[in-house]
Amino acid sequence: MPQFWNPYAPTEARRRRLLGVGSVLGIVLLWSAVAASDLVSPSKLPAPWQVLSAFSYLAWNDGQSMLLTATLWSVGRLLVAGLLVIGIGIPIGIVMGAAPQVNAALSPLVDPFRSAPVVALLPILVMWMGIGESMKIAFLFIGAVVYLIPMVRDAIQAVPQSYWIGARDLGATPWECIRRAVVPMAMPRIADAVIVAFSVMWTYITVAEYVNAREGLGQLIQNARRFSAWDQVFAGIMVIIGLALATYQSMIWLKRRLYPWETQQ
Amino acid sequence: MTDPVAPTPSAAGSEAKPVSVVVKDIVQEYPSENGGVTRVIDRVTLSFDRTGINMLLGPSGCGKSTLLHMLGGVRPMAVKTPTSGSVSIDGKECHDAHDDSVMVFQRYANRPDLSVFDNIAFPFRLKLWKSRVPESEWRRRVADMLEAVGLADKAGLRPAQLSGGQNQRVALARALVLRPKILLMDEPFGALDAQTREEMQRLLIDLYRSWPCLVVFVTHDVTEALMLGDRVIVLSTQPARVADDFMVNEARPRSAAWQRSAEAQSLEERILNQLHASPGKGQVRVTI
Repeated sequence: MPQFWNPYAPTEARRRRLLGVGSVLGIVLLWSAVAASDLVSPSKLPAPWQVLSAFSYLAWNDGQSMLLTATLWSVGRLLVAGLLVIGIGIPIGIVMGAAPQVNAALSPLVDPFRSAPVVALLPILVMWMGIGESMKIAFLFIGAVVYLIPMVRDAIQAVPQSYWIGARDLGATPWECIRRAVVPMAMPRIADAVIVAFSVMWTYITVAEYVNAREGLGQLIQNARRFSAWDQVFAGIMVIIGLALATYQSMIWLKRRLYPWETQQ
Repeated sequence: MTDPVAPTPSAAGSEAKPVSVVVKDIVQEYPSENGGVTRVIDRVTLSFDRTGINMLLGPSGCGKSTLLHMLGGVRPMAVKTPTSGSVSIDGKECHDAHDDSVMVFQRYANRPDLSVFDNIAFPFRLKLWKSRVPESEWRRRVADMLEAVGLADKAGLRPAQLSGGQNQRVALARALVLRPKILLMDEPFGALDAQTREEMQRLLIDLYRSWPCLVVFVTHDVTEALMLGDRVIVLSTQPARVADDFMVNEARPRSAAWQRSAEAQSLEERILNQLHASPGKGQVRVTI
């Protein structure tokens, strides 16, 4: 296998898909075997088919779809928080990256939060904002924006200085250099930051919906846990993973459409 | 040596307005690793007062690009530039980027996200040029420039789809579309292969003929300096001082026969002698 230990070797699409599907199937098979062998109690590890049947129960039962309602609530919260992250976080990151003095002033406020336990902020948010929607959205927003801002700043600072100098030489004002030369060049990396922010929000959605949960996937999981319906818990988790993956893939697709030049460089 | 050859005005009669550039007692120092300072440019005084191609020739790393950046007024460095001395354009001391000059860099600084057309038209999206040149006018200029540099059929392509020489044509077109009084060129053809370099030199001569302006062209290639320059300024190795400054009185384009002539050979020898006489390291290229 001369190509095995070669990180630059191309893997044909069919083979790549086969390997990916194969590993997922392998895990499902192992899971089925463990569940069927009675090694682990079904109350701790429901079998794949039990999860599947819980999924179908959640998807449609008694003339309504709990799963769809919960998904719409969660996606709605995520979208609102995501728009706030983009609308507030990107401008702050750009200004920090473009103006070293702003960066010096703001980075001590922003950078430590990257490694801070954001979940610990939840009780404080509840205290400040109550237990309604605004608290949930604020929690998602904070959880994602602390990653996004430094990534956007780094994206701006990573743009080679030659673009700035080139624009300045052609008569651009310093602000025009940022707006017309630096920011457009940083856009693919800023898009990466947005993708990370959405992934982070999907990981925090269940936590956000734990408190006073009425609707949402987090509430659905929390509710199932309360009744020890582990098959529904597993189904809920898988739906979140699936949605997070779909968000990621569609955003990657969009990024490639918007910035095709990034890979041509 | 005699005076530089007066450039032929183009058929359209367009030509940059006369401009005078005076570089006076320029010193540039950088902090060195041992805590002291390294002087890269040492009391350089030069004056340019007419259109023509001025070659700033010196070994690699001698500080000639730094000097060129000072003429452009773009001061990207963290240290004070220049340490002392002044650059004046038409009698006015220049401290920052100004509208009279445009620079062509060795790394072409073309925007990978923009088409060839939009790269050349880029300056006209800026406030400064938008207010000076109406859209119909700049669109015409960009189209003419695309023709002039032979990229009319590639206007919609992106830089990644072009060769190195074609990319440098885009950079040259973007500079000349502004019809600058001063064109500053920082080893623009240094990264190209020999054949493409010659093509680009021919193109520059053609473009210069239709827009004669004050060109300051930095190179470490002795042959390039002799083939292009009306005037050749030789800088010594670091710290850069003016080692020689002379005119080349031969009409362009200069033929291969002239290149082998006694005159060209003696000029080349003169340059190499000056460079060898100055202490320090650094390389020049000779392709004759």
